[in-house]
Amino acid sequence: MNADRLISFRAVSVDFDNRTALDDVSVLLDQKRIAVIGSNGSGKSTFARLLNGLASASRGEVRVHGIDPVRQGRLLRRRVGFIFSNPDSQIVMPTVAEDIAFTLRGRGLSRTEVDERVSRMIDTYGLSGHEDSPAHSLSGGQKQLLAMSSVLVGEPELIVADEPTALLDAANTRRISNHLLDHMPQQLVLVTHDLRLARRCDVVLWFDQGRLFRQGDPHTVIADYERNHA
Amino acid sequence: MISVYRSGTSILHRLPPGLKLIGFIGLSLLIAATTTHLLEVVSASTFVMTGYALAGLGVRALASQVLSVRWVVIFMLVPQLLFLPALDAVTNTARVVLILALAALFTMTTRIPDLLDAAERAASPLRRVGIRPESVALLLALSITSIPVIAGFAATVRDAQRARGIPAHRVSFAVPLLIMSLKHADDLADAVSSRGIEQ
Repeated sequence: MNADRLISFRAVSVDFDNRTALDDVSVLLDQKRIAVIGSNGSGKSTFARLLNGLASASRGEVRVHGIDPVRQGRLLRRRVGFIFSNPDSQIVMPTVAEDIAFTLRGRGLSRTEVDERVSRMIDTYGLSGHEDSPAHSLSGGQKQLLAMSSVLVGEPELIVADEPTALLDAANTRRISNHLLDHMPQQLVLVTHDLRLARRCDVVLWFDQGRLFRQGDPHTVIADYERNHA
Repeated sequence: MISVYRSGTSILHRLPPGLKLIGFIGLSLLIAATTTHLLEVVSASTFVMTGYALAGLGVRALASQVLSVRWVVIFMLVPQLLFLPALDAVTNTARVVLILALAALFTMTTRIPDLLDAAERAASPLRRVGIRPESVALLLALSITSIPVIAGFAATVRDAQRARGIPAHRVSFAVPLLIMSLKHADDLADAVSSRGIEQ
């Protein structure tokens, strides 16, 4: 096991409004690209939200790269970036450059360092020429690239992406998924309904009715999943 | 008139945001209090145009800002024309347009992060009464960013109601708009938290 990128869940359950969203999940993960699949309401988003402290375990213990999400929430959120499915809900500042720079607020960086990091992200993610554009006026694909840039500028160690291509067309899905799966050095947890993307990961977790139903090699787990949902 | 920053190196771009904000508020008050005759409107207009020229923004940027508030102009001007002499109605309306143009000039020459830093500094005495200045600055940023989002929700609700043949009504419009706005607020809070920013 690679201790630097170890994610561990020990008997974790999450209850919401008299409903168990996640039920007694235990898992150890150190793979670089982890896919999470399952039907709507199966608990996969709750699993993802536990990874950066957006949800808390009602029972059990979660550790992400050795960090306790409950006691060290702020530290964890700086190490774990989260990409949501709707990029509109992630835009915090009016313009593209300002939104990317927002992640670096309060980190003690100089204006020059912030500008350099923002420029690098803008170049890497094909947003050149849009620096001063209103963020909400970008296309859906560009907004998701902006969301990724805004997360990655903070140099997290783990990226959690909760259905990041759900609202995108085929070309933008390909563009975003290639960035996430092929070009990022960070560990990735990808929650997705797109089984083609899940197949490109190193391990697949299949959630069903709040329980971790199966985990393992993508091709085997996905073949079973497809048979089950045929 | 939701202007966004236009990069530049003009004197207006380089002024400290706090000082600039105080200056713009002072000028707006001056225009509101003293522009009562046509000659003063012309002088104030020349002053505002000079500001745009100094910022390197030009007549086109000014015209686009004025055009974006055309409904405000019509809404203000038409009722006044019914009850006041034409010159007074035009002067009153021009005063408001000039102040809006000044506000746009401020936002076009001030980066929001700089404005937030200034707001954070200005709000720092509030720490003594338990209010975090960073939260005040964040509230300001989110308010500015949410205006186009909520305008988009309003358009979506209107379109959805038209598509289903529901007649325009304040309650049937306001309730879904409120629900969408609250959901957006929840999502935005998650997005801010997930970026490691304390609220």
